[in-house]
Amino acid sequence: MEEAEAEEQQRFSHRQRLKAAVHYTVGCLCQEVALDKQVQFSKQTIAAISEVTFRQCENFAKDLEMFARHSGDCFCPLRRHAKRSTVTTEDVKLLARRSNSLLKYITEKNEEIAQLNLERKAKKKRKPEDENRDFMELDADVVGSDS
Amino acid sequence: MEEASGFRKELVSKLLHLHFRDCKTKVSGDALQLMAELLRIFVLAAARGVCQAQAEDLDVVDVDQLEKVLPQLLLDF
Repeated sequence: MEEAEAEEQQRFSHRQRLKAAVHYTVGCLCQEVALDKQVQFSKQTIAAISEVTFRQCENFAKDLEMFARHSGDCFCPLRRHAKRSTVTTEDVKLLARRSNSLLKYITEKNEEIAQLNLERKAKKKRKPEDENRDFMELDADVVGSDS
Repeated sequence: MEEASGFRKELVSKLLHLHFRDCKTKVSGDALQLMAELLRIFVLAAARGVCQAQAEDLDVVDVDQLEKVLPQLLLDF
């Protein structure tokens, strides 16, 4: 009996920590908007946006899981696709389907991310023992790298 | 990379896993990054919506404005 209680307590604490982390990020983002629009957000407003965001994550998570699993239910005559257990960017894009501008933005962001990751992988593949590299190339690395 | 604030991938992962029904469900790295962006937009949309809902020239944005903005925000998402 006590174990169940302890577990419940742990779950609660975990949830609270996540909420706090969300609250912090929401606060930072509101601060950006506040600076931009020259206003101030009340603490209650930030807390409310944080709460809404946290709750929205539940909808997102459940939808994403459904989308991934549902991908197995296609009627492709060539082969049967296995249900996926890994959520992909295609699933995330489905989340953004309700607003055209949002979908467009997310699609573009996805391409940006994919491109950046490709570049990162390409950089990693360069062998570190390649001492004969141009100094020119080294400079390019310094200028082009992200923080 | 991003000069602006945002949700860390680790946080996004934990948030999603909190609600997955199947313990086997995973999220790709790219999907996490994209979700972080989606969440960032969600928050910005809420915050900006609240600012716009302010009719008068108030300096402080209050919860009342959020109540006006919420229905549309949730419909968009």
